[in-house]
Amino acid sequence: MASTIIGAGITIEGEISTDEDVVVAGTVRGKLTAKEAVTIEHGATVEADVQGGSLVVGGSLTGNVTASERVDLQSGSRVIGNVKAARVTIADGAQFKGNVDMDV
Amino acid sequence: MASNVTVIGKSTRVRGRVHGPGDIEVQGLVDGEVSVTGDVTLALHGMVGAGIKGRKLVIRGAVKGDLVADEAILLEDGARVVGDLRAPRVAIGVGALVRGYVETGEEGSSSARARTQTAARAAPVAATHAPERPHTPARAPAPAQAKVAAPPARAQASGATNSGPRRPPPPVVPVLKGAKGQIAKKKER
Repeated sequence: MASTIIGAGITIEGEISTDEDVVVAGTVRGKLTAKEAVTIEHGATVEADVQGGSLVVGGSLTGNVTASERVDLQSGSRVIGNVKAARVTIADGAQFKGNVDMDV
Repeated sequence: MASNVTVIGKSTRVRGRVHGPGDIEVQGLVDGEVSVTGDVTLALHGMVGAGIKGRKLVIRGAVKGDLVADEAILLEDGARVVGDLRAPRVAIGVGALVRGYVETGEEGSSSARARTQTAARAAPVAATHAPERPHTPARAPAPAQAKVAAPPARAQASGATNSGPRRPPPPVVPVLKGAKGQIAKKKER
């Protein structure tokens, strides 16, 4: 399935909505809504509320996160915001500040 | 892995600006300005709702905004552009649709403006049979590496001041005019 790739250095200021996978290596400011997997690569900066099927964060994310499946914060990531998902993993080395809501 | 290749996928809608270094390919919808330092490719079903700025623009989709390039603008079959085109080189391929002002040559240089200025008296006649038809949808019959520049002699004699960004193009066919300003009639005697 095709995926949307936001390359390193590219800045998108606004709202992004998509039905496919998203890989963010650049900067997104605003809102990101996806139906499938969202990957925020190491070095990326996302200052937005993110909604997706699943979310893997390796870079910097400031904003609330809602995922229908799972959220994985990798080592080296930096997340400030609330996370709401059925499954959440926070790897050793990830920096995180916010609420975690696992639909309990 | 190619760095700095941005792809806006087919089902992606971006409502906002996209800018930065690198190349970008738009297959979906960008409702905002695209301004990059690299190449911009707009796929067949892609749409951009505002201007596009880049080094080289290859357009196969719909654009409602001005296209400004540092190197070249290539409109291919399927391109639908409502807006101005400004680049050193412009190519409008078979099947491309354009409605707007086209200016080739160095962007913003004074020599380009002098070349595209036309004599004021030729302007009203040019409007009636404008060969490049910039203000109506143009279907280019052949790929045109458009050097819209008028013959230098005509431009040098031009006393017309720059009346704004939208000017009728210089007529390709010289117009024969009599002393009263009317089309000269051939006298057979």
